Amino acid sequence: MNVQIQPPRTPAEAALIDAFGERLSLLPGNGEVTLKRDAAIEAIKAGLPTRRIEAWHYTDLRRLLTAVPAFDATAKATPVAPLIEGSSILALLNGAAGKAPAIEGVTISAVSEKLGDGTYASALGAQDADDAIGALNSAFVADGWLLDIADGTVLEKPIELQNVQAGGQVHARLAVKVGAGVTATIVERQTGTGAALVSSVDNVVVGEGSNITWLIVQEQPDTATHLGQFNAWIGKDAKLTLFVMNTGGKLVRQEIRVVTKGQGSDFQLRGVNLLAGDTHTDVTMVLDHAVPHTGSREIVRNVVTGRANGVFQGRINVHQVAQKTDARMACNTLLLSDEGEFSTKPELEIFADDVQCGHGATVTEIDRNHLFYLMARGIDEKTARGLLVKAFVAEVIEELEDEPVVDALEALLDNWFQAHG
Amino acid sequence: MPAVQETIEQVRKIDVDQYKYGFETEIETDKAPKGLDEDIIRFISAKKNEPEWMLEWRLGAFRRWLTLEEPNWARVEYPKIDFQDIHYYAAPKNQSGPKSLDEVDPELLKVYEKLGIPLKEQEILAGVQKEQPGEFEEAGDNVYKSGRVAVDAVFDSVSVVTTFKEELAKAGVIFCSISEAIREHPELVKKYLGTVVPTTDNFYATLNSAVFTDGSFVFVPKGVRCPMELSTYFRINEKNTGQFERTLIIAEEGAYVSYLEGCTAPQRDENQLHAAVVELIALDDAEIKYSTVQNWYPGDAQGKGGIYNFVTKRGDCRGARSKISWTQVETGSAITWKYPSCILRGDDSQGEFYSIAVSNGYQQVDSGTKMIHLGKNTKSRIISKGIAAGFSQNTYRGQVSAHRKATNARNFTNCDSLLIGDQCGAHTVPYMEAKNSTAKFEHEATTSKISDDQKFYVMQRGIPEEEAIALIVNGFVKEVIQELPMEFAVEAQKLIGISLEGSVG
Amino acid sequence: MLEIKNLHARVAETGVEIIRGLNLTVKDGEVAAIMGPNGSGKSTLSYVLAGREDYEVTEGEILYNGQSILEMDPAERAASGIFLAFQYPMEIPGVATMEFLKVAMNAQRKARGEDPLSIPELMKRVKHAAGELSMDLAMLKRPLNVGFSGGEKKRAEILQMKLLEPKLCVLDETDSGLDIDALKIVADGVNQLRSPDRSIVVITHYQRLLDYIVPDAVHVLYKGQVIKSGDKSLAYELEENGYAGIIEEAA
Repeated sequence: MNVQIQPPRTPAEAALIDAFGERLSLLPGNGEVTLKRDAAIEAIKAGLPTRRIEAWHYTDLRRLLTAVPAFDATAKATPVAPLIEGSSILALLNGAAGKAPAIEGVTISAVSEKLGDGTYASALGAQDADDAIGALNSAFVADGWLLDIADGTVLEKPIELQNVQAGGQVHARLAVKVGAGVTATIVERQTGTGAALVSSVDNVVVGEGSNITWLIVQEQPDTATHLGQFNAWIGKDAKLTLFVMNTGGKLVRQEIRVVTKGQGSDFQLRGVNLLAGDTHTDVTMVLDHAVPHTGSREIVRNVVTGRANGVFQGRINVHQVAQKTDARMACNTLLLSDEGEFSTKPELEIFADDVQCGHGATVTEIDRNHLFYLMARGIDEKTARGLLVKAFVAEVIEELEDEPVVDALEALLDNWFQAHG
Repeated sequence: MPAVQETIEQVRKIDVDQYKYGFETEIETDKAPKGLDEDIIRFISAKKNEPEWMLEWRLGAFRRWLTLEEPNWARVEYPKIDFQDIHYYAAPKNQSGPKSLDEVDPELLKVYEKLGIPLKEQEILAGVQKEQPGEFEEAGDNVYKSGRVAVDAVFDSVSVVTTFKEELAKAGVIFCSISEAIREHPELVKKYLGTVVPTTDNFYATLNSAVFTDGSFVFVPKGVRCPMELSTYFRINEKNTGQFERTLIIAEEGAYVSYLEGCTAPQRDENQLHAAVVELIALDDAEIKYSTVQNWYPGDAQGKGGIYNFVTKRGDCRGARSKISWTQVETGSAITWKYPSCILRGDDSQGEFYSIAVSNGYQQVDSGTKMIHLGKNTKSRIISKGIAAGFSQNTYRGQVSAHRKATNARNFTNCDSLLIGDQCGAHTVPYMEAKNSTAKFEHEATTSKISDDQKFYVMQRGIPEEEAIALIVNGFVKEVIQELPMEFAVEAQKLIGISLEGSVG
Repeated sequence: MLEIKNLHARVAETGVEIIRGLNLTVKDGEVAAIMGPNGSGKSTLSYVLAGREDYEVTEGEILYNGQSILEMDPAERAASGIFLAFQYPMEIPGVATMEFLKVAMNAQRKARGEDPLSIPELMKRVKHAAGELSMDLAMLKRPLNVGFSGGEKKRAEILQMKLLEPKLCVLDETDSGLDIDALKIVADGVNQLRSPDRSIVVITHYQRLLDYIVPDAVHVLYKGQVIKSGDKSLAYELEENGYAGIIEEAA
């Protein structure tokens, strides 16, 4: 009775396992790196996560990942114009790091080099049993950028990390070590032209007293699968503001795993998901308040049109020692289509008693009173709806208060509404 | 609120082991041998003089159960249960079916007397006579009633007596044990049993379908407002037995019934399994109000013993404008795994869930609800108050979903948790799923502790610390207490105070 | 009634000393006003008297009718007759004001070895006291202080004070947030309680309240010490010249 039966492999699982056999000898790194890759592929061999895995409850990757494209060595990608003018661009073109510009206070190297000499081996591997993205990426990662920002560096202009795909498979790493007292804005662009399978893992360590704004702008074509993971550890009195904007992709999962490591640290998440067509987009956050006196605020706004399916899972873990934690999370969704779907799971896991934690979630349509008010002022319904929907997400963007950033994101918003409004 | 003072009195009187229903009664019993196979199921069915179709139904469920796995998604941990090490049937001797009150074993009557449960028809629930509400007190939305309650008393695997049966029959209400219903009203049982919780539903519900031994059956015919509160009182007495009760309540068009359920068990070092299934069916314009005060033995201060309470409760708002309301006060059990749910199938139907879950010691609670919006203009409301103390883990898990055709579905959810001490955990896991653009869901949750400011303020008025906390906690849960029938509200407040005893320090 | 000798008290969490060698005597039946600029330690003094755990007494003594109260918890102090009217009364959701009054009155009676009040007797007392303060009885059904206006909160404090019949009343900035009519009602309530065996300590920043509750003695608190004491004329002097003069004089 109750015998665990391993279901037959899906075509996607089989393709990944086959690809690993073919690719391994071409991937950078030997010895320790290879061992890590071998261990990582075992997780894929055990099967992609299904809805029975709580962390993947709304994104049954085994069912949704129907096909896996082969690696395409001939595909050529070209850099895109930066989101914010004057940014220093570090591009990954179809998975390969190009030439790095010089940025004062920042030491830059390519991940392929560090895999090649084995020094990056320790960063490979899945973090836990639910970490399918970490496993997939560790098995296949070929390149990426490693940045080390020196203590006290204040960057006037953003650094833009571009991951541009042109089809096939791309598995990238972006790792940034931020020293103490740094102020910087980093833009991560996930874009391209092909029907690629992309995995992209970020590891960010924020040093004492630093203030970092990190924007993830995901604009993949609606044929691509994008599996992103953002990991961050925030030091004493440091602040990390993460802004995530998803406007594209066919199957998207963006994981956010953040730990407040130092007292007085603060994490801010702002998310905008603009969902259209026949797509599936999942933003899943796990935030650990691991020390006393830390704070966090998460606000995620979603607009669902067409046959799009959206997911937000947010879990705040307050550890037993993390007294005086102040954590609040809100997820608000405008469901504009009867064929669309949105699922939310905001979780609180609390082991400390002297805390203030809360979450709120709403799913609604456009407020009829607001709509009526605008129409009573002579604005036609379509325009009025457009205004209200845009205002709903723009609110989150405007909070960033950095003018060039706000302008750039609002331009993206306008583009999306022109295409899908 | 007379109960506050009562709570304080109770708390003061009680020693370390605060569970006051932990006594065991020496009653000669008839038991099935330990273990579970088709023969045991045939044995149970034969004991109950069941018709063949019922036996087949049970066997079907059993065969299905063999293919299922225990669920592991809840936030509870316990050693693997050996399902072959349990007695699936235990009944007081010569008590194979409910009889009239005069024939019930006097020892059994004493048990219920000791538990404060009135089995004599002229009596009302203990505590009510003494505690008339004061002039200035509001009984919430409940109109204070005469307090007459019909009781079905279930002792281990059988119903020992059901009171007020005749008077209810005059109004057309059937209130009896499920075993009797299977024999006397097979057409109703066949029509409704397993239609809300199918035999294939989940591991424990399927097990229950195979081995259920007794429980209550209520049928309120079209247009009838049940003339009194109905109640079932469950008592586990025997060692190493599981209790698998099955309750089925049907309210026909325009009917109304309010049903209460209470549970206790002796203090034992071994864990005992309780896997019940409750099915509610409300047809057009019908309303069912189901209240539970769950006080199974929670285990001792070290976490030894206690009941594993794995329960499937679901209501089907099958008719238009029907309403089902669950209210629960959970203070007992070592582990609670329970999600009283509403399927809002009928247009304009309504579901409600009001819950207080108190955990102390090493208790683990994973409880909440599901509100499944299928019909048009359906509404649901969830108010959950969790209080964790000691080394306990207290999880709210709730699902709200609106399906494609559920236009104008509305949900409001509020779940608040209170932590007392820094060795416990409070968790909130809501699932919200919307597939209709006209749905409107609102969810809010908070976790906090009793503020030092509040405690100081109350103590400054001369109220000692433990009473101050009981007072603030009772305020925190007031919104839910108000939903309980008056008779249970008083009991519930006392229980909460008792459950939190020793949590201050 | 009350004798404070060389009292030193600090915030428990930060160790910052707020009361720095304070001496004060309040006689039986006396109304003593304690005035002082912001941050002088007025509210801290009221909390220390009431036994708030957030403050630690590091030195000195508080004698209440000749007995030290430092080892008593807030409830014990309250039951012995010390009442603090809070500057910011706490909201207690779900607990009806009436119910709270009953629990508090009976808890104190119990501590004194008296029987609990019967419900009719309790009702009679509450109705009477509320009437004197022009309070609407409907308010008593609402949860304590939840959604009360500033004036309603202060009145509810005075109502509790009347019903609990304390021996030593400490009024912490009771005038803040009150309009003139509410101030008069509150002051009347306090004046009715004046008696030879009851002392009242009125903590205030402004002289305004003292027009209505006329003090027998005025003490000026600055940096955690009483720097000057006098009769009610001292309050007028402060009103005219501010605190600066007295502070300079003391320095």
